[in-house]
Amino acid sequence: MNPIALEGLTVRYGARLALDQVSLAVPEGAVYALLGRNGAGKSSLVRCLLGEQKPTSGRALLLGRDVWSERAAILSEVGVVPEEPDAPPSMTARRLSRFCSRLYPRWDAAGIEARLKRFGVSPDTPFGKLSKGQKGQVMLSLALAGTPRLLVLDDPTLGLDAVARKAVFEELIGELADRGTTVFLTTHDLAGAERIADRVAVLSQGRVVLEEEMETLKQRFRRISFPNSRKEAVARLETLAPVAVASRGWEVEAVVSRYDEERLVREDEPEVSALTLEEIFIAVTGAAGETGP
Amino acid sequence: MAPLLRIDSRDARPIWRQIEEGVQHLVARGALPAGAVVPSVRDLARDLQVNPATVSKAYQRLTDAGVLTVRRGEGTFVAAAPPPPEARREDRLHDEAARYASVAITLGATREEALSTFETAWRSLTDGAAEGEAG
Repeated sequence: MNPIALEGLTVRYGARLALDQVSLAVPEGAVYALLGRNGAGKSSLVRCLLGEQKPTSGRALLLGRDVWSERAAILSEVGVVPEEPDAPPSMTARRLSRFCSRLYPRWDAAGIEARLKRFGVSPDTPFGKLSKGQKGQVMLSLALAGTPRLLVLDDPTLGLDAVARKAVFEELIGELADRGTTVFLTTHDLAGAERIADRVAVLSQGRVVLEEEMETLKQRFRRISFPNSRKEAVARLETLAPVAVASRGWEVEAVVSRYDEERLVREDEPEVSALTLEEIFIAVTGAAGETGP
Repeated sequence: MAPLLRIDSRDARPIWRQIEEGVQHLVARGALPAGAVVPSVRDLARDLQVNPATVSKAYQRLTDAGVLTVRRGEGTFVAAAPPPPEARREDRLHDEAARYASVAITLGATREEALSTFETAWRSLTDGAAEGEAG
């Protein structure tokens, strides 16, 4: 059973379609990154995923059950780190832990204390007095303390500095190493996602424009550039499915999505380089933006 | 070991392959001697900030290839006598030669010119050094 399955998820706000027939599945043990520009529909998707919003049509299954109708029962097995850390400002992390322990069957109170110590966050400071980064770290500690089968992180490193971001990733890596928890995260940190996620989906204008394993994704995309004098060579890349073509100084370059070394025409003097996830993301979402409505 | 290993997101090789080849390289040049302890999957994953499953895959392949050995309860070590990386060595020679040949062709060099340039480069590197360049 896939811990997360979205089936034709559609969300409409009046005339605006925020999610358009989104279907995807997160396999057990995967670290799954959902990427998308602001306004792509990520927030609507996460709200539906956590049973906070009823989809206009379609459904979200968490651990095999419809999350909208069985929210309370399911969420005790899911750890959630919301985009906006939210807790009563006067409550300390220790009191939050005690409060949450009654809601989760397998609560690991000692684990929280150890994590907060590693983060350098005092368990006795009121939540409202913590920095944004520290609030996020408290949220992550609470989410992990429930020993969840599935962890949902909504942009967990947004607004964190490099040190705090590294600490969050280290905690996440420790959790993955110890328990192999399935992780679903949305993020703007593409460099971080590239290293930790094994599967990735890109949402653009409410649709999934790309969904696959990180490894195959990185294998099929390449940047191919030619000297300006060989502009016509770009036309010969058609079979490699170019998604973006740009002229840069004395070069013309194309990003292709079905790279195949055999099909390059050597006489065109192509220069081939690999792309980072960020570069692939820009090529894919940029192209979708141009052809969109 | 971690500072010696680098992950490059602009590298076309998958991360597990970069780790696998990185470790092989460290073993081959003696930076990781036989019997040396390698970091646990968890520690290396944290150091490199990558998914532990990725490190685990690299370690598994290195173990299968006889480069690393796992001693239950003790950890993972560089194998006492790493196998001669013959196949890999041939692959690498071939790859590097192909790269040089393609550069030479791109620059419009003749075969003779490329060979003599290579000959000169070889001599400049080996002149004065002992001839023991076997490995």
